[in-house]
Amino acid sequence: MPKAYNWQLKSDVPYPYEVNRPERQFAMVMDLNKCIACQTCTVSCKTTWTPGRGQEYMLWNNVETKPFGGYPMGWDLHLMELLGEEQRWRGGRYEGPTVLDAPRGERVRGWSPGERDWESPNIGEDEVNEAVDVGTVLKTLPAPVWMFYLPRICNHCSQPACLAACPRQAIYKRPEDGIVLIDPERCEGYQECVRACPYKKSMFNFVARLSQKCIGCFPNGERGEQPQCVKTCIGKIRLQGYLNRPERSRSDNPIDFLVHEKKVALPLFPQTGLEPNIYYIPPINVEIPFLEQMFGPGVEAAVQSYEAMREGKEPELLGLLHLFGGTSGIPHSFALEGDEVLGLDQEGKEMIRVPLLEPFQMRPHKDEQFGVVRQDIP
Amino acid sequence: MKKSVILLATLLALGGPGGMASAEVKKGLTSVHLETGLPLHPGDEAWEQAPILDTDLLGQLVTPPTNTNPSVTSAQVQSLHNEDEIAFLVSWEDATEDRYHGIDQFSDAVALEVPYQRSDLVPFTMGGPGQRVLILHWAAFRQENIEGGYYDTPKAYPNYSYDWYPHAKPPYAYPQDWKSPYALSYIGGEKVLRKNSLKTPVREVVAEGFGTSTWKDIQGAEGKGIYRDGRWQVVIKRRFLEQSTSNPDWGPGKDSFFTLAIWDGGAGERGSRKSLKYGWIPLHMEEP
Repeated sequence: MPKAYNWQLKSDVPYPYEVNRPERQFAMVMDLNKCIACQTCTVSCKTTWTPGRGQEYMLWNNVETKPFGGYPMGWDLHLMELLGEEQRWRGGRYEGPTVLDAPRGERVRGWSPGERDWESPNIGEDEVNEAVDVGTVLKTLPAPVWMFYLPRICNHCSQPACLAACPRQAIYKRPEDGIVLIDPERCEGYQECVRACPYKKSMFNFVARLSQKCIGCFPNGERGEQPQCVKTCIGKIRLQGYLNRPERSRSDNPIDFLVHEKKVALPLFPQTGLEPNIYYIPPINVEIPFLEQMFGPGVEAAVQSYEAMREGKEPELLGLLHLFGGTSGIPHSFALEGDEVLGLDQEGKEMIRVPLLEPFQMRPHKDEQFGVVRQDIP
Repeated sequence: MKKSVILLATLLALGGPGGMASAEVKKGLTSVHLETGLPLHPGDEAWEQAPILDTDLLGQLVTPPTNTNPSVTSAQVQSLHNEDEIAFLVSWEDATEDRYHGIDQFSDAVALEVPYQRSDLVPFTMGGPGQRVLILHWAAFRQENIEGGYYDTPKAYPNYSYDWYPHAKPPYAYPQDWKSPYALSYIGGEKVLRKNSLKTPVREVVAEGFGTSTWKDIQGAEGKGIYRDGRWQVVIKRRFLEQSTSNPDWGPGKDSFFTLAIWDGGAGERGSRKSLKYGWIPLHMEEP
């Protein structure tokens, strides 16, 4: 079987097909410190792409609460069971099994969610990791009591498990942007892709009788716009762009800068071996071991960089995070100019200019004229 | 090349082509010639004239995903033909009647395969490049759609409630106008609808190797399945030569080959997870 080099694992993974890298790779970064689970992304995706019959249960974009939430239920626990206790990182290199290390007679190590597993997309919402005593005050970071929201779409993996598993060769990766699509005319609804995808982002339409999945809003991308989930995010936690391989990283490319240069954005469960292309800035309130299981060994450094940014020591990173949600277009590069950050399109033309610090006023706590104390409201 | 090696190893393990076959299978199946029309119902008296071939089936082990624990291990086949058409009656034991194709839910099915060239050198494993095969695939869910009404959301989930379909107005009838955005979002396009709304439970597919099976534009085969007493009986019927499409080289007096595969949906069998006959079965076509 051919092998593909997975830079996230720093090792080779077996893959049934020779891996041809796309011209550029669709990628997204989500800052988990900012997500409030308002589900605007979920609804915008739902009304755009999955409003039809047989799609009632489908959320190509969902937001779940960690540690206990999951759509479908327990997808991450199943993944941990599949990979077992041999998951091991050594010096930034992964030495354990991946889902591509399939047992004999299978193409991928997978599991099939049943109907009931899809029924509770918001299970575990807002639940924290442990019971909290009355009067508890959280004073440290990371905090002993924590939860965070995890928005998820298809990872448009570089070595997709769904593509590897499809016996009909109905799944393909677009050469122009690396978006993974299912050909509805070839799909027969065997649901091998549903079984194979460890993130469970391929879903079965029981009326059309074929599998469907997030299409990365490719019609948007084709006219230089970011996906619906990004454009509608009111928390401005997302940025979509194109990721280069690490050896071709460009420091003025927003996604490269966050993933390769500053290494603050990390892949979700990289130990799947699939090279997922949705990256997450880990939440700084959460204990490191949990995050490391989820985002790999780069978590501690990522959190430190983020903290440094909060202290004003990373102006470029601060600037780039200000571009999130600033424009519906895809910024191909960015630059700092004084106390402003610029987003530039493919031709290097300015798309947007955002101040690093919005104008604000400080008012004294006590209003001497009226002799009253001001409340902390606008 | 690698697949051929695996295939060869599998065949060797089975004792060569047809190694597991009973003497009856080596002899093949005789398709009896009738001067009358062919029956579509498995209970038709005409079937009493056709000899029964017993055949063993094994789990598909040639290409992953494989089926090491096949649910169906034997089947009985009969065949009748006249000047224009050929019909097969396949029956097998199946403890569960699976008529739906849903989320992690699969339908019972049977497929017959015939080589375009009358040669047993054509790979029986879905043909090969330039060695086309015709596959006639009957599925219980397709018959259920025709007989019991389309398996749409209200039928699949009778107690469901849903706020709003933005592109549709009640009563959410099946779309007819393919220019409307509702129709496109409803099911994913006209071709997908066509696949799901055939007037026959049998689909015709051609293949030239693993993963190449493709729906034919002309869908002429008919079929009818009956489930009774833990047993499926399925008739698949087709004109030898369909107009405006490619056809195998077969007909009255022209001996050929066939093989078959069976899926038990209740055991999660679909696609390559199936039982099949390893090798071609000679098909003797009685002359008029």
